[in-house]
Amino acid sequence: MLSWLIKRLLMLVPVFLAVSVVIFSILHFIPGDPIDNLLKIGSSPEARAEMEARYGLDRPLPVQYGIWLSNVLQGDLGTAIVARRPVADLIAQALPHSLRLGGLALLFSTVVGVTLGVVAALSRDRWPDRAIMGGVLVGSTMPSFWLGLILILIFSVSLGWFPVSGARGWQSLVLPVLTIGLGGTALVARITRVSMIEASGRDFVTLLHAKGLSPLRIQLRHVLRHALIPVVTILALRIGWILGGAVTVEVVFARPGLGTLLIKSLAQHDYPVVQACLLMLAMAVMLGTLMGDILQALMDPRVRAAMT
Amino acid sequence: MIAPLRAFRHPQGGLAGCWLILVIAAALAAPLLTPYAYDVQNLPQAYQPASAQHWLGTDEFGRDLLTRLIYGARTSLSVSATAISISVLCGMVLGAAAAWFGGWLDRTVTMVVDLSWSFPEILIALILVAIIGPGTTGVMIAIAVAYIAQFTRLTRAQIMTLKGETFIEAARSLGAGNAHILFRHLLPNALAPVLVSAMLATGDAIILEATLGFFGLGAQPPVPSWGGMMSAGSALVFKAPWVIIFPGLAVAVTVVAINLYGDALITELDIRSRLRSGA
Amino acid sequence: MTQLFRKTLLSASVSLAALIAAQAATAQEAVFVMATNEVGAPTYNPIKATMLNTATGLLFDRLVSQAADLSYHPWLAESWEEAPDGMAWTFKLKQGVTFHNGEPFNAETVKAWIELFKTTEGENGYMAEAIASAEVVDEYTVKFVMSRPEPNLLYNLSSTFMGVVEPKSFAALGDNYGVTEVYGTGPFKLESFAIGQETVLVRNEGYTWGPEVAANHGPAKVERLTFREIPEDSTAFLELKTGGVDFLLSVPADLMGEVQKEANLAVLTMPGQDVWYMPINVTKAPFDDIRVREAAAKAINQEEILASVFGGVGAVADTFLISALPESHVPDGAKIHYDPARSNALLDEAGWAMGEGGVRMKDGQPLKVTLWTQSDSIFRRLTEVVQAQLKAVGIEAEITTFDSSTIRDQYKTGEQQLAVRSYNWDNADIVDWFFGGDRLGYPNVSMFNDPKAEELRAAAMTGARNMDERIANFTAYHEYVLTQFPMAPIYQPVQAMAYNTDRIALPEKIDAPAFGAAAFLDLQVKE
Repeated sequence: MLSWLIKRLLMLVPVFLAVSVVIFSILHFIPGDPIDNLLKIGSSPEARAEMEARYGLDRPLPVQYGIWLSNVLQGDLGTAIVARRPVADLIAQALPHSLRLGGLALLFSTVVGVTLGVVAALSRDRWPDRAIMGGVLVGSTMPSFWLGLILILIFSVSLGWFPVSGARGWQSLVLPVLTIGLGGTALVARITRVSMIEASGRDFVTLLHAKGLSPLRIQLRHVLRHALIPVVTILALRIGWILGGAVTVEVVFARPGLGTLLIKSLAQHDYPVVQACLLMLAMAVMLGTLMGDILQALMDPRVRAAMT
Repeated sequence: MIAPLRAFRHPQGGLAGCWLILVIAAALAAPLLTPYAYDVQNLPQAYQPASAQHWLGTDEFGRDLLTRLIYGARTSLSVSATAISISVLCGMVLGAAAAWFGGWLDRTVTMVVDLSWSFPEILIALILVAIIGPGTTGVMIAIAVAYIAQFTRLTRAQIMTLKGETFIEAARSLGAGNAHILFRHLLPNALAPVLVSAMLATGDAIILEATLGFFGLGAQPPVPSWGGMMSAGSALVFKAPWVIIFPGLAVAVTVVAINLYGDALITELDIRSRLRSGA
Repeated sequence: MTQLFRKTLLSASVSLAALIAAQAATAQEAVFVMATNEVGAPTYNPIKATMLNTATGLLFDRLVSQAADLSYHPWLAESWEEAPDGMAWTFKLKQGVTFHNGEPFNAETVKAWIELFKTTEGENGYMAEAIASAEVVDEYTVKFVMSRPEPNLLYNLSSTFMGVVEPKSFAALGDNYGVTEVYGTGPFKLESFAIGQETVLVRNEGYTWGPEVAANHGPAKVERLTFREIPEDSTAFLELKTGGVDFLLSVPADLMGEVQKEANLAVLTMPGQDVWYMPINVTKAPFDDIRVREAAAKAINQEEILASVFGGVGAVADTFLISALPESHVPDGAKIHYDPARSNALLDEAGWAMGEGGVRMKDGQPLKVTLWTQSDSIFRRLTEVVQAQLKAVGIEAEITTFDSSTIRDQYKTGEQQLAVRSYNWDNADIVDWFFGGDRLGYPNVSMFNDPKAEELRAAAMTGARNMDERIANFTAYHEYVLTQFPMAPIYQPVQAMAYNTDRIALPEKIDAPAFGAAAFLDLQVKE
């Protein structure tokens, strides 16, 4: 198990390097220059060169990349050019909000999605199945900013239950979590339902039935366990979505977070911040994939056997 | 009878198909359907709720909302469909090449695709629009790139399965070349699942286009798009809620219809398992 | 027995005190929403920042304060005197003033602070440019030796950019000054600052040196102020409506009606300091022809925009300056008004004949131009109306929307033809800022560089010996710029704010040109 894990971790190294190259280089294609934001209007070319030198933007790109990477590996994310403070501070400010929102949305879509998926699978092709699958389909097709605004109008303005915007207290999390969670619920419910139905057709289920176990017990104890494997895999892969895909919802609810930070810095050409945000997301994605693999391994006896 | 028509026999598929035909026909025939122009302002008529003259009311410039919704369908559908077509073409070439030639090409393509597949499409699209610039073309390219990974994966998986089939072996033993096998045998057989999933992805692309429009990056005014209309409407939620509600419903209903029709099509073509093997 | 009684009494009084304290704490807090055009200010450093928000004015006091009638009054300076030739100013400073970090405020600190403008890189050096040096006369008297007469000095000294910073911590903190820590003499201290999100200020308990224009010269009545930054006006309004916040520092005109519909909300208006306008790039064809510029400028129907986009609130703009400024009083002939007949005649004269589909043509080319705007919803709405008005005289304008923070970079390319933008300033030197020949691209979006204008500009900026001369010179400069049509004036709003009347009690009179320190000192929170 340990050697498998180490091998798996080592495999992430080239991926990480490739990602860092892409993230670093892509930004230099964006038109506009952060130095323009800093320079005094009507500055001389010398002043410009001096400023570029200060931020290391005058070196050749590969050198800039090398410096950046070695700093990142030492935990130094650099200084924001426009916001004029350590990038780490900005990330530290945004990340907890993203984690809270993303984590709760993930939890919501898992619990609700699995429940709905199980109910749908148990009542396959009858009305509860149709109603649930129709409902989650509709839920997943509404643009999240639109859904968010509608929820604000209903629950904040008309009913006054939750705050309109911001990030103060648990109340302010309810509507954003709901907005993101509804989209994810559809996916989880769909996968749970299909894999439940598939697993019910397996040989071991027939055997359990022959043994005389109650059908509901078989479904919930044995079939669900198998059915959850693909669900877990997909959820782990969605961690990137959870952190970065919340950007629209963060904008609608005027919430701080990684997504908003990324978009704002992108607009301001604040390279160090954008690079750090993308790197955070990429690392979350890689860790998510790894976690998915591990969980899958732990849950699936066949994979577990292959590992040892 | 061919499968796209057979899909209409399913009650849901039929209803959904009819809606899609209606939306596409309305978008194509827009100038014939409405007496109003989408861009002519009539400021004294601004913020009118639904009435006999304006079935869905008017927007902040006194323009007929239904007219803009129909013209908006033109923008939103054509941008999404074109983007996905580009995506499918690139994805099929990449995926087929990776699967057929294998080796380092396969490994590189798979790694890049897996990575970009794990990133939220909205972020990929936002970054690309920042590079290309706002407007219809920029958004189209951004959406196309955001979905390439999905089709590359799917095509690759299809070709990998087909590669081992007997009829390919037979063709090869008859002396057929790489290109011949790839274009005459493999790709046509992989086409059905890719096209159906392209159709489903068009639904996602409509939402993505709307989201980019919400950030003000899509079609530039006065050309309407569903996302752009909602973006303007978000500032008017309490004054003229219909300006945002109707385009949102249009998006939701159309995407639901695409999904239902696609689902019926999958059943008819009997390709459910093949679709999953690639996802 | 008595023991027990005393204990009970004691505990009762303690819990009562706690109760009162708790109530007072909730009552003494207020949540403000920053004006939308101030969202995202990255620092509270007045010497370096190009953009400062309302909270900055509460952290830093200034030497002089300005009243609603734009006259100047004592604040940290008790009195002042200008030498007859304008080459020196002497300020008597208030005694007993201390900075938030305990450092004393005196002539030495003023001298050190003025020097910061010379030694710190940034845009704001021009504020103290005319001051050659600051000399300490005695502990509480400071003399500014001028390099030239500067009739505008008191205006500069009353501006937030000349909020007095504590020089020692400024030097020690470097780039962190204004970000993590900030020390001024103002009625509030910085507690926390999350960029783009929220700033929390707490009352400076020892404050006794309020500006003369405020009724209250002591500590502020509110203990704690939270300033939230919400980019969308409609979200901010919904927060106010649902009780999530108490005060909006900006309300766009189209939402004022919605505010007035609510029983517990009220609108507060003060004279505006904004002008909305359409810069015209004089270097880009077809606008290198002054006739086409004038035609475009006179195609703008300011009355229609005022009525339809801004709900009739505010006033039309017909010059580049807010009408409260004397320099805005140019001869009627120089003012720019809607005149479609003149527009059409000029375009005909310039060879642009009306063609198919209502777009003018010349030599087979359609009259097609670009129109840039920023992505905020009010800008997009106004720009679409402008687009339709230009179309009415046969000019087809293609809109491109940019993020409000990137549009400056875009202007620097000089590729723009027309744009819709606004500025916020209440001094005539803004003409110099936006039309000075050495700032092409941005801020000189119009790329206007005209030898005669440069001559008039030099006279206006540095050639005046007293206020009357300055006004005359700036009026002449402003008038000349208008006749060259590098822009079309559109609209001047009022400063509109909205607040919850159940929570906030405003002072009877706010004797200041803007809602700043004076208003915050007098403002109260209701139980």
